[in-house]
Amino acid sequence: MAAADDTHLLERLLKGEQRAYKELVTTYQSAMRAVAYAIVGQRHADEVVQDAWLSVVRNLARFEGRSSLKTWLLTITANAAKGRYKQNRREVLLDDLPSPHGTIGDDRFSPDDGHWAVAPYAWHQDTPEALLTEDELRKCLEHTLLSLSELQSSVLVLRERQGLELEEICNLLTLSLSNVRVLLHRARLKVFATVEHFEETGEC
Amino acid sequence: MLTCKEQVARSSDYLDGQLTFRERLLVRHHLMFCPNCRRFIRQMRLMQATLKIMPDEPVEGVEALAQRLAEERLKDHKGGD
Repeated sequence: MAAADDTHLLERLLKGEQRAYKELVTTYQSAMRAVAYAIVGQRHADEVVQDAWLSVVRNLARFEGRSSLKTWLLTITANAAKGRYKQNRREVLLDDLPSPHGTIGDDRFSPDDGHWAVAPYAWHQDTPEALLTEDELRKCLEHTLLSLSELQSSVLVLRERQGLELEEICNLLTLSLSNVRVLLHRARLKVFATVEHFEETGEC
Repeated sequence: MLTCKEQVARSSDYLDGQLTFRERLLVRHHLMFCPNCRRFIRQMRLMQATLKIMPDEPVEGVEALAQRLAEERLKDHKGGD
């Protein structure tokens, strides 16, 4: 959202306009949830988002527009998450869980020369809209996203769906750039494998 | 020349603009000669675009939350800030 929109929305929020809050929640709740999910996991993500919203309202008058509203909201969410649950999640950081349709792994390449042993299957559709007309594929993708570790899934959502820069993701989740890159890459290959499987077999 | 496996390993960094100039050239060079990897990258981009436009799960209880937050704001405001 552009800075001018932020300013206008902010004025309405400061006046306590309920519709402005509805707009705010609808626009940003998913991104906030992804941040909370990455830090505290599924069980506590909703509580953290609730806490974050209250904190947002209480600090609204202090928002100075030095960052975008989105960045500010996500920072508050990350802080709420980190403040509430300080237990160590680092040990599961790069945990790679099995995915319903696997990944694009070593077995796809020839051990001799590193060329494709099983070439990527050509998908039938060449636009995202066309792919998603298959409701089954959408469900299948949701299933795969749920199979990812909390961190992998959040990093993927924040990057692909929320359009955050890698650096923003690092800052919010207190991860190194190389960890974010690894998480993102593994998540993408699994989602790729799901679409490929669906395109090839017509089934999830 | 990169192998296909090496190209795939660098694909996310390539798509995110995280490669050095030299590495980017290596990937481009590989793609120029490898239709399979071109397909892979094209479909990776398609997968990204698909994730992006997938409809959000509806947020439950938006109205109630919005009302609560608006009330909270008005309450704070009366407290003077």
